[in-house]
Amino acid sequence: MSSSAQNYLLNLAKLARGDRVLRPLVATYYVTTQCNFNCAYCEYFGARRNPQAEEQLDLDRAMCVLSIIRTGVDSLIVTGGEPLLHPDIDALIDRARRDLKFRHLTLLTNGSLLPQHEAILPALDRLVISLDSTDAGVWSQIIGAAPGLAHDVLSNIRTYAARQGEWGYRLIVNCVITPQTLPQVRTILDFCEEHNLLVSFSPQAVNNWPHYDLLTAQAYRDFLQHLIDRKQRGAPVLGSRDYFVMLRDFTPYACYPLLVPRIMPNGDLVYPCRPIELSGTTRGGRPCNLLHVNSWHEAIRIALREYDSPPQTCTSCFQQCFAEPSLLQAHPLSLLRELRYAASRQGAVWTHAPG
Amino acid sequence: MDTCARLNRETIILTITSTSSDAIIVGGGLAGLSAALHLAERGLKPLILEADPKYCGGRIAGGDTIELQQNGQTWRFRLEHGVHGIWSPYRNLQAMLARHNLRPVFVPAREESWIYKRPNGRVTNVAAGSHLRHSLFPAPLHYLALFLSPRFLAALDIRDGLTLLEVWYGLLLALGVDPLREDQPLEDQWLNELVDHWGPGLRAFMIGLTRNGLSGRPVEVPLSGFVAFLRFYSLLRRDAWEFSYLPADGGTALIDPLAKRVEELGGSIRLGTKVDRLERLDGDGLTPARTPTIRADADRERAPVQWIAHSPTGSFTTRSIVLAADAQNARAILCASEDTRSIAEGLYFPRSLPTAILRFWYDTQPKSKVEAGIFSGEMIVDNYFWLHRLQDQYALWSKVTGGSAIEVHIYGPPELLEKPDTLLLALGANDVQTAFPELRHHLIHQHLQRNPPIHTLFGLGRPEQHLSIVTPWPEVFCCGDWVRHPAPAFFLERACLTGIEAANAVLRSRDLPTWPLVDYPKPEAFAGWLEKLMHRGRKILRKKNIGRR
Repeated sequence: MSSSAQNYLLNLAKLARGDRVLRPLVATYYVTTQCNFNCAYCEYFGARRNPQAEEQLDLDRAMCVLSIIRTGVDSLIVTGGEPLLHPDIDALIDRARRDLKFRHLTLLTNGSLLPQHEAILPALDRLVISLDSTDAGVWSQIIGAAPGLAHDVLSNIRTYAARQGEWGYRLIVNCVITPQTLPQVRTILDFCEEHNLLVSFSPQAVNNWPHYDLLTAQAYRDFLQHLIDRKQRGAPVLGSRDYFVMLRDFTPYACYPLLVPRIMPNGDLVYPCRPIELSGTTRGGRPCNLLHVNSWHEAIRIALREYDSPPQTCTSCFQQCFAEPSLLQAHPLSLLRELRYAASRQGAVWTHAPG
Repeated sequence: MDTCARLNRETIILTITSTSSDAIIVGGGLAGLSAALHLAERGLKPLILEADPKYCGGRIAGGDTIELQQNGQTWRFRLEHGVHGIWSPYRNLQAMLARHNLRPVFVPAREESWIYKRPNGRVTNVAAGSHLRHSLFPAPLHYLALFLSPRFLAALDIRDGLTLLEVWYGLLLALGVDPLREDQPLEDQWLNELVDHWGPGLRAFMIGLTRNGLSGRPVEVPLSGFVAFLRFYSLLRRDAWEFSYLPADGGTALIDPLAKRVEELGGSIRLGTKVDRLERLDGDGLTPARTPTIRADADRERAPVQWIAHSPTGSFTTRSIVLAADAQNARAILCASEDTRSIAEGLYFPRSLPTAILRFWYDTQPKSKVEAGIFSGEMIVDNYFWLHRLQDQYALWSKVTGGSAIEVHIYGPPELLEKPDTLLLALGANDVQTAFPELRHHLIHQHLQRNPPIHTLFGLGRPEQHLSIVTPWPEVFCCGDWVRHPAPAFFLERACLTGIEAANAVLRSRDLPTWPLVDYPKPEAFAGWLEKLMHRGRKILRKKNIGRR
């Protein structure tokens, strides 16, 4: 049994005791905050923010960080910025799989640089590529790039979709729903069905809340209901029914941010989550650097000493990365129900969240 | 100075200070700021006139900073009107803040306790809030979770058990009637008629909740206000009771950034400008004595109605007035204005109540980990908030010194609020230390703040008597948490929602696009089914009654 699955079961016991300091199901390592896209909706990164990009580690030190993460969990998401901009990304992914024996490895990328990094594909379990519109013109406006680049990424998606069987990874398309893409967002679902891709959706966040124009749009709620219906009919949609219902009805949920801890490029642990860390308050921050601790448990102990246990139901973010694992952890029956769906069985169900 | 000279001088001052703007918003509380923000976003130039000389924000304003000297170090704490909860159904407020990147990362509520002191002096402390929001029973049965708590049961006695059916009758009544959506003022019905026959424990619990929510004694609380309040915050959904706190005082965390944003978008705010009356200009757009400027004919045609907002410090001309003052101040302005008096005198204005906020600093921590709660029974204070667990400035102080700080609110009665400061502080401290005896002899600092009577005790008047967004006067619109509107919103959310709606009314009059609103959550399935059942029952009863007549 993977440590993610073990942690899931241990967390159930913790929740029954009222303990909110849950074990991680998957860790997210931002190998770099540099990016070559300029997505309009991205609140944290993007090429426009590259001058302020955080310090990134060389291969050896990055491996040290991963080895500490590995003491807590064996599922890893490697993301950025654009992770393929890290000079040692190929070796890092390879050694994470080979030396550190991560059982589930996911790479989140914008897909533009994949042809130069094909060597990493066999090491991956899941490859997540962002795709916000199948219309290259619309999409290029969103990502702040020339239409040619959007065309290239669409072409890459088709190429690597065809090679899933050959290299053994599962390709997932991650779509951010924005007010601009809302009218055509159903075409993404059709595109994914056509190319045998799993797809996940998240609303565009502004200030950690779904975009106002989505919240007030009936078309947005209709699309979420459409997703629920299509998933029930077997469409390859990642995301639990609970998650989509929560998004549709916009209801609060109990959030357990420690299920999906974040580690910044320099090895800093973000506690308990990015929004609270960025708020600069006394309730969160970066309590330690994983280069300076001996184990994941020690890092969490330091964080708890500094900031106490994480809050609950802050109704501050409705992103799939936090909401999905939290919902499925708190409602094990929902998790079982999700196993009915082929799409859920193909993704690691307790880590639906693509990133 | 002779009269003529004085008049001339007044005319000169008025002429100098008179300005013209797209819309004048009377009152710079949350409602007024919300209206101004939404107007400014559409390119209009609203002017907010706020009576307070130093801060806008009304009931959520920040205040002066007080200092605490401890171990040679000076700690500063900014005061505020009082701690507010940001409840999960406050959707339009949060959406507005998020749209402008002003939404702070809130401090989620973990637990709220009910501290009940009986006449015999026995004090029970029951953790209650999490039982409601995390209840396994669907709404409206979620209250049953309280009865699974041994401490809650210990606070009750046999009389409570015998009157349980009456309690459920009250809940069903609240399910069956939606005063806001149905325009049901439930006239001359008061909360005491509902709860007077309940057992003492449950009655104390409900009175505690009501005093916190509606700031009045049952005999003062209109049943319509209570039912609407219960439906919005608790009855229809378990998660309606999910809420958070601001990470700092209301001024710092919410109002100051909001006011700054209004100004960035082209709005302006004049502090210390208390509007005392409105004046409608005559048909050709001119008033005799105080006309600030002579407008061109073309302007006159575009602006068929003009209003002047008069204040002791100047007069302000505009086409549209948004009245965003609290209920009683709105009433005073309308009744003092010749053009509005005749109608305004016959209108219903909910009560505005004074409150007292007491803050105590201790050099030790309470044993309980709960951050907030309500008091009821033989206590003068109505609720408490451990500030060092909620707000950053207090958390930093607590981390360094190991101390704790509590804020308690007193919502009346008037005769209690009239007591001298020292007595009120002593009584308040005694109540706090009765609830948390480990704090006795550890008090190091205290502060009393008396708030003016601007806290709304919401009730619903008849449709023709209770002002809504659009008033009987052309181009005069109302907003605030006392204003009639079918949305099931309360306090900050109602202020924000009616502010947006008032802005929409102004925008509509100028043929500009309006702002959509975020919907409120539907009742949980079982509560929704019961609600429908009750509605059908009422319909049948109505038909029968008509048949008998």
